[in-house]
This record gives sequence, C-alpha cells and structure tokens, in this order.
Amino acid sequence: MKGRIRRSLVRIYAMAAKEGRHIVRDPRTLYMSLGMPVLLLFLFGYGVAFDIDRIPLAVVDQDRTESSRALVHALTASRELVSVGELPDPAAVLGAFRQERAVAALVVDEGYERALLAREVVPVQLLVDGADALVANQLLAKADALVRAESQRLASAEVGETTPPVRVKVWTRYNPDGRSAFYMVPGLAAYLLAITAVLLTALTIAGEWERGSMEQLFASPIGRLEIVLGKLLPYLGLGLLEFLLVVAFGMIAFDLPMRGSGFALALLGLVFLLGMLGQGLLVSVIAKNQTVATQAGTMSSLLPSLLLSGMIFPIENMPVVLQHFSRVIPARYLVHGLRGVLLKGNGLDVLWPDLLALAVFALVVIGLATARFQRRLA
Amino acid sequence: MSAPAPGAPVIEARQLTRRFGSFTAVDAVSFEVERGEIFGYLGANGAGKSTTIRMLNGLLAPTSGTARVAGHDVAADPDSVKASIGYMSQKFSLYLDLPVMENLLFFGGAYGLFGKALRVRAGELLELTGLAGQDAAITGSLPGGMRQRLALAGAILHRPEVVFLDEPTAGVDPVARRAFWRLIRQLSSGGTTVFVTTHYLDEAEYCRRIGLMVDGRLVALDSPAGLKRTWVPDRVLVARGQGLAGAAAALAGRDGVRSVQPFGAGLHLRVDPARLDEAGVGRILSAAGAREVVVDRAEPSLEDVFLAVVGREARGEAVT
Repeated sequence: MKGRIRRSLVRIYAMAAKEGRHIVRDPRTLYMSLGMPVLLLFLFGYGVAFDIDRIPLAVVDQDRTESSRALVHALTASRELVSVGELPDPAAVLGAFRQERAVAALVVDEGYERALLAREVVPVQLLVDGADALVANQLLAKADALVRAESQRLASAEVGETTPPVRVKVWTRYNPDGRSAFYMVPGLAAYLLAITAVLLTALTIAGEWERGSMEQLFASPIGRLEIVLGKLLPYLGLGLLEFLLVVAFGMIAFDLPMRGSGFALALLGLVFLLGMLGQGLLVSVIAKNQTVATQAGTMSSLLPSLLLSGMIFPIENMPVVLQHFSRVIPARYLVHGLRGVLLKGNGLDVLWPDLLALAVFALVVIGLATARFQRRLA
Repeated sequence: MSAPAPGAPVIEARQLTRRFGSFTAVDAVSFEVERGEIFGYLGANGAGKSTTIRMLNGLLAPTSGTARVAGHDVAADPDSVKASIGYMSQKFSLYLDLPVMENLLFFGGAYGLFGKALRVRAGELLELTGLAGQDAAITGSLPGGMRQRLALAGAILHRPEVVFLDEPTAGVDPVARRAFWRLIRQLSSGGTTVFVTTHYLDEAEYCRRIGLMVDGRLVALDSPAGLKRTWVPDRVLVARGQGLAGAAAALAGRDGVRSVQPFGAGLHLRVDPARLDEAGVGRILSAAGAREVVVDRAEPSLEDVFLAVVGREARGEAVT
C-alpha cells in the first residue's frame, strides 16, 4: 500500500515537472498568464471607468434671464456636465446628438423667470441621448439631483430660512468616492483568471492527443487521476502567481484597498483557480484538439465571467432566469468574495458561502474531467 | 504477481479478435512469442498490426479471445501488463520542446523511477543509444534517427520484459535504420523480448520469426528461411548480359517459367526447378539474341514470400 502511494506520487511529480518545463520553455504561456492580465487590467481599469465626468451639455436658453443662467450654472458647476455652447432652438438638439457634439441638452422655455416670480410650477426640459444607456441613466440621476438642489435653493431664497422636515444624510461606506476601479478590479481579476486558467489547461490535454503522446501515456502505468493532478499542479502555481500579480497591480495602480486578510484572499483565489483549471481540463478531455479546445474554453469562461458574474452588470438587475443561471458561474462567487475581502475586510465567517460554492464547482468539474477521460483508446 | 515460468512464452495470444462495428480488424489471431525472441509482425497498412499491438499492451480491450503478456491477462489486468512492457507507438511521441534528458526523466517517472537511480539509468541509455552528450539538446532539433533511438530509450528505461515497437523505422534513413536494428538485437541478446511491426521487408530478415498479417488474419508464421521454403518453392534466378530486354519475350510462356521481371539491368525470374534450370534459361536467352548471358541462382527474398502470400490470399486459395 505504502509503495503504491509512493509510486503514484512519483508519477504525479513526473507529470507536474514535465508540465512545468513546458510552461517555462513556452514564452506564450508565460505571456498569456502573467503579461496579458496586467496589460488588460491596465487598459480596462482606466478605459472602463463608469464615473461620469465632463458630459457635453448643449443649452437652448430661450428665456435669457438671470434665473435661466443661474440654472445652467447650477447644472455645470460640478464639471460633471460641461456646457458646449448654446443652440438657437430645440429643433437643433437632435442634430447636435447625431453629430455627437452633445449627449444632453437643457431647454429653458421663454418665460422661465416670469413664471418663477409668479410662483408657478416651471417645466424645464432635459433631453438625453439614450444611445449609451449606462451614461444616460447616470446622467438622469445626476441631473435630477442637481435640479432638485437648485429648486430647493430657489424655494429657500424665496421664503427665507426653512428647514426641510426630513433630511437624509447619505453616507456611502467602502467606496465613498464611488470609484469604479474599486469594483472593477476585483471583477477584472476574476475575469482574467477565468480566461487564462481555463485556456491554459484546455490546451494541455488536447495537446497530448494531437501530439500522439496520449497513447504513450496510456500505455504506461500512469493513471487518469495522476495525469489530471500532474497537469493541474503547475498551472495552479502559475494561476496563483497571476492572481497575486493582478491584485497587487490593482493596489498599486488604482489604490485598491486591501482591508481583509491575505489568507482569506489566497484561499478564495486557490479554490476559484481549482475550479477554472478543472473546467479547462474538462473542455480539453472532450475536445481532443487544440483549436476546438481554445474556442470552447474561451466561450465557456469568457462570456459567462464577463456577463453573468456581476462584474459589470449587477446580478440583481438580470432577468430571473439569468440570475439563477449565474449561480453556476464560479466568477460570480469570486467577484462577490473579492469585493468583500478587499473593500469590506470580510473574513471567513462571511466568505464561507462563496468558498463553499467554489469548492463544490471545483470538485464537480475535476470529477467529471477524470470520469470522462478514457484511458483506453476505444 | 504471477511471474511466468522460465521457458513459458512471454506473449501468448489465443483467438485474439477485435471488431470495430462490423469491421473485423483482427480476426482470431493465435501465436506465442518466446523470451528474448525478436518477433516480426508484417503486413500492409490496415492489416491489423497496430490493433494487435494495442490489444497486447492493454490499450484496447479484445472483442473476444485472450492474450497473456509477461504472465498477465491483457483484459483482466491491463495495469500489470503496462508496468512490465515498453511501448514505442507509431508516431513516436517525444516532447519535442523539451531537452533529451527531460524526456527520459519524464518517461522514467511515468514508470515510477526517480532520483539518482533514474538519472544513472537515463545516462546509461543515452550511452547505449549513441546519444551521450546530447542531454541538453532540444529534442525537436535532433535528426529523425536520433529521435527514434531516444524514443526507444524512453520505452526501455524501466527494463521491461517485452518491448512493443510499432513501425519504429518508418521515415528513417537506411543508415539510421541499420543502427536501430543493431540496438534491437542487443536488447534481444540481453533477454528482452522484442515485438516489432514493420513494412520494410529487408528488416524483417533480422527477426527470428515472422507473422504475416493479411486483412486481419495471421496467414503465415515461421522463421524467414522457413517462410521462403514454404511459400517460394520456385527457384529464383537472375540473368545478366547484353540485349536481355529484347530476348526476355522468348522466356514468357515457356514451360517451367513462372514469372519474368526486369530487375535493374538484368532479369529476375522464377522457374520450376523440375522443368527448367539455369543452363536451360541461358540457352533460351542466347537463342533469342542476348549475348554474354550469365544466369545465377538467387536466394528468394521476403518480398517474394510476401507477394506469394498476398497473391494466394487474393485468389482466395486455402492456406496450407
């Protein structure tokens, strides 16, 4: 029995050492796992910022009074909206949207000041280019708040000092500035790890089939689980390195806070990686050639991790069917867990459901890959 | 562990059969291979050679029939079979991106060898296969003959009782092939049983016994000399001289002449020794205008055997 286990360990070690040497000798693997993620993180981290800033606003001021100018000033003072000039009449607004000179337009009708003084309710139009729904939504919320503040100012100037009956004091915890990098970086880390881990392993078993070396392996005493474990280990090491690199890069480049423990972070990464590597193995056990494995690996990791993980689109906003579907996407749990550890300082007491979900996924895919992996040729 | 008794056959196939759907790739094949023997398995592509090997080394389950290799049943205990054999598949599967030594260390590890013992053994094999000093060379940069010897080294690191070599010399130049067969003979004289498939008939001469496969059936099994006696009872003659091409027509259809073929600058013919001898052939050729005619007896080659066997099979005659 003891001799048997030792022989098995020798075989797993031989497999892992061989795989490790393939990695070290292949610059593409190293680039894909270490270079590309940092590059992508950099591009995404800066490029995919959802904070609105300097949105071009066209103004159609047909009132041309001090009050109407005050309203425009109120909207553009914070620099989140920037006036790009006046348009002669409301009809010109659509033209400005089409030429993309403006994303929003404020239309103040003639008689604005008169109506204000007469204490009537004054309609003011805000037109928004809805082509980019994300920007439009944020813009509407922002403009609404600005206009509300302005009307309150006007009302209090009128009546003298008033205290509104209810005062809400909003205090945003964990990400007070609402910086999108803070929630994007954990999401990106999950996304990048998911793609590279699945792809890296998807290529390895398919590669053995293509090379013809699989037959040689099957003719040796090396077992299925030994092949699978031997292939997993070096990529697990590489994946963990990638994970730490991505998180460290996020902390340095985007001031990402790290409020939780390094242990919780590493454990989360480890369990997630096991699942992703297992998924890659499963793909390549089924695909048997590298081209198909690459495509299947990308499709099965990239799209769900990007769309259904909650990295960009909140899971709460998805159709119910997709919400349920997202439960089998491991990236969902990593994104959730990572945000918890990094931003909130969550410990294992809060993390365990995420960890458990990831562990179940890993066990299932590695088990499936091993079972599906026929050691005989036919 | 049921070690085979000394003198018992190392490979024993009984009515070994493998079907793929309605196609019978190997049809009720039976044979035995003795310890230390070089056993050649001959046949055209698709005759069932690789399928037989894959059943014998535990990669394919037989549809029916049994086989024992190194004392283990291939269907019941493929893992013990795998541990006691070496296998070099048709497309020898070395890792071309790795250095020579790494390939050996990996295959050694796959068979459970490790540490210093493995390194020493790998060094020995590099020496044996003429690859000493190439440890660090990237395998993909080696010429075909060296890669083939490295693949053999990888298959015998664990000192297997039997080595299966599936078309080991395909696509390798003649000098390298000769060097490779020297290694095979060395292995065999060390007591290792070698089961080798090939379609180079000249190489098959090195085998102690040869099995001939046609369409999944083992149609002949004997030593090279025995095969020639049984299958080529005709006398093979080679005629040389001037103006043979024109005179050859005079031989065709003569009593006792079985076949006439141009062979280089001369003629290659098979005659019935009871009706026609060398002198007779010389007379016919000279009478037909050929000059300086010399007729010699030639040893029949395995190619002659192969053609005779395949020819008889094609005519559907019973095998004696």
